[in-house]
Amino acid sequence: MQIPTRTDAIAIARQRGDRIAGVLPIHYPRALLRAHGVQPIEIWAPPRQDPTAGNAQFQAYACAIVRHGAALLLDGPGRDVDLILVPHTCDALQGLGSVLLDFIKPRQPVLTLYHPRGRRQADRLFLERELRRLGDRLQAVTGRQPGDAELHAAIDTEEAANERLARLCLRQSPAALSDRERYTLVRSREYLPAETFITLVDARLPERQEEAGRPAHDGARRPVRLMLGGIVPEPMSVFDAINGMGAAVVADDLACGSRRLYKRTRGPDPYARLADSLMSGPPDPTLGSPIAERAEYLTTRMRESGARGLLVYDVKFCEPELFDLPQLRDRLSAERLPMLHVEFETATTIAQQTLNRIEAFVEMLQ
Amino acid sequence: MNLPAQLSYAVGYGLVGKAALWRQRRKDERAILARMRQPSGQLLAPPLLSSARMKELMSRHYLQARYATGVRKVAWVTSGAPVEILQALGFLLIYPENHAALCGARRKAVDMCVEAEHAGYSRDLCSYARTDIGTVISGKAPITRIPKPDLLLCCTNICQTVLYWYRVLAHHFKVPLIVIDTPFLFEEAQAHQIDFVKQQLEEAIPVAEQVAGRTLSFPTLKDVVHAGKRASELWLEVLNRAQHRPAPITAFDGFTNMGPIVDLRGEPETIRFYETLLAEVDRRIETGVGAVANERMRVLWDNLPIWYRMGWLSGLLAQRGVSIVASDYTYAWGELAPMMDPDRPIESAARVYLHPILNRSTGNKLHSMRRMAKDFQCDGVILHSDRSCKPYSLGQIAQRDWLANEVGVPAFLLEADHSDSRAFSEEQAGNRLEAFIELMEARG
Ligand code: SF4
Ligand code: SF4
Repeated sequence: MQIPTRTDAIAIARQRGDRIAGVLPIHYPRALLRAHGVQPIEIWAPPRQDPTAGNAQFQAYACAIVRHGAALLLDGPGRDVDLILVPHTCDALQGLGSVLLDFIKPRQPVLTLYHPRGRRQADRLFLERELRRLGDRLQAVTGRQPGDAELHAAIDTEEAANERLARLCLRQSPAALSDRERYTLVRSREYLPAETFITLVDARLPERQEEAGRPAHDGARRPVRLMLGGIVPEPMSVFDAINGMGAAVVADDLACGSRRLYKRTRGPDPYARLADSLMSGPPDPTLGSPIAERAEYLTTRMRESGARGLLVYDVKFCEPELFDLPQLRDRLSAERLPMLHVEFETATTIAQQTLNRIEAFVEMLQ
Repeated sequence: MNLPAQLSYAVGYGLVGKAALWRQRRKDERAILARMRQPSGQLLAPPLLSSARMKELMSRHYLQARYATGVRKVAWVTSGAPVEILQALGFLLIYPENHAALCGARRKAVDMCVEAEHAGYSRDLCSYARTDIGTVISGKAPITRIPKPDLLLCCTNICQTVLYWYRVLAHHFKVPLIVIDTPFLFEEAQAHQIDFVKQQLEEAIPVAEQVAGRTLSFPTLKDVVHAGKRASELWLEVLNRAQHRPAPITAFDGFTNMGPIVDLRGEPETIRFYETLLAEVDRRIETGVGAVANERMRVLWDNLPIWYRMGWLSGLLAQRGVSIVASDYTYAWGELAPMMDPDRPIESAARVYLHPILNRSTGNKLHSMRRMAKDFQCDGVILHSDRSCKPYSLGQIAQRDWLANEVGVPAFLLEADHSDSRAFSEEQAGNRLEAFIELMEARG
């Protein structure tokens, strides 16, 4: 089964009679949208999108997610979505959401979501109420008011898809899928309905698949095992480049990947489940996770996966990512886990200088 | 409490330091008075006499901080933080942003930024944060020695940057970090947002009490809120006096004199200082003294100042008869005063601290600018596009276009950075300012 493209997914959703939401990163309640008959299609700095329309609204020191994302919504395929959801992930997305609401005023409704920056009881309570507010807005936009049973069913389906995502992200054997195949599949979660995603993952990576599948890395030497961190790996050819250097991505700390490994939830109240789920992911700098907690988590994941180094591949101007790096580097190096940080401006190609630095890092780990 | 520290505090601060600062103030005042007596003909009015008092107040605060370790509990706080609880518990408050601004104004910020950059902190990060982190990790004292914190208080109502920054500090100092998370107001504040902030404030009290080693007294808290409210009202009155023509003060006077309202609000002395300043500004109005001698055009300033080029900028503008009469940045510390209620300190704080301009929508900021441009009779608006302050700057392109096209007020984006002078080109800025002034002139 081929992985459907975003265009395919939109066409299928439309055939189903669903509305389409353009959703900015990172965390949001997919199940709530689905229960309202809305298919989320996420927007993560598409490299092929001409950013001119975004550059006309935002200064060059805004990250590519904001400039390219705005361009996609104003002057690209995003013009056709039925609604826009902007989670308040950072100051940059705050700016985008606010400018959309107050100045650009697109024909589609623009909804927002504030994710609290802690995991205290007060945060949990607030998030639940914030999700109810979002539910009310969705009802106003779609005219649908799903009952609890519908909401629970949607949550169950999304949680089943989350488990498939965990299978992809946590049990990475270089043998089963190539890195690019695996992350193309991981990233299809950004736009495919949970049901399709489940079918795809089950077909490509059955639960009990033996590690010895098709060898993705030929040659005598075993690949250097890396963990890949950052917001989003664009362009996806970065995986080919990494493999070409004799390395393999065996774990990730990507906002579009493992940082969205939410846990299963239970309970009678669907909104409480949605809030519990969104608060159950791994440490994330955009959610205010303490640096020590992140370091602990990364160390554990690297040990579990056998990763020898962490490659942080960041969108330029991403403040949430940048602040943690020096202290993370110190903690990881105390554990003899080296880290390399490189940045990219979204483009269809990767700068040669960036590739050289990654190559030197891989050589150092060999 | 430790005895040697107390002794050193009593002598270094109480006995010697305060007296030395008082003498310095008298000296500064005499110098300002001498300038006032000089024949007129200057482009800019002499400095305000009160600025000597302001300098004494702020220097005293930093001097006290220098001797505070072992004597008073110290909290580092963000500029929009709900500090009243900490003040009522007797904490000495340090505002790293204010310290970074001082470093910027005295051209020490870049050195500290470089220290942070050498340690791996990106040059794309807020230059206040880099200045502070550079100071912390280098152990240097570019202005004065800052005591280590016993507690950190971070409120996200100005930006998310402070959250990342304070996590770095918490990790470094291994002290408790209280986060007051204030959901950004894309629209009017809603009940669940206010409740959320209130609950966090309530939960912060026992944490702060534990660090302070004492229990919060609500009558004291009420007094602190009352004093903060009064000081904020006075501050707003001072700023609003610039609606007069010619404006007796400029936004540069505002930037220079905002230290006490940021760092020392809630202190009785701050009230006295702003009363004195207000009286002095009124005297200027009575005697027809304008801050810019030949005021021909009036401009509104958006965003933080360019701390390291204030003198250059005010001189350049004054030469052309341009007075920057107001700034939404300085206004932010006054406009929430009516919301403060000493009788309901926690509940009103939840509302107040949700509403700073930086926690409200870009449309709300435009609304404020538009109102200020009208109230202060401005001929134009300069929007400082501040490279390392995204929350204040993103949205400015739309705001500029709207001001120019819909309101009919010329507006332009001045590219710079609040503290990092490496992101500023004087020549380019000068040329663009000249062109902007010509545009305003052409419109008459
Ligand atoms: S890349 Fe970073 S700064 Fe940009 S939207 Fe994502 S989290 Fe925000
Ligand atoms: S990013 Fe802007 S608002 Fe935040 S601390 Fe820096 S200068 Fe202040």
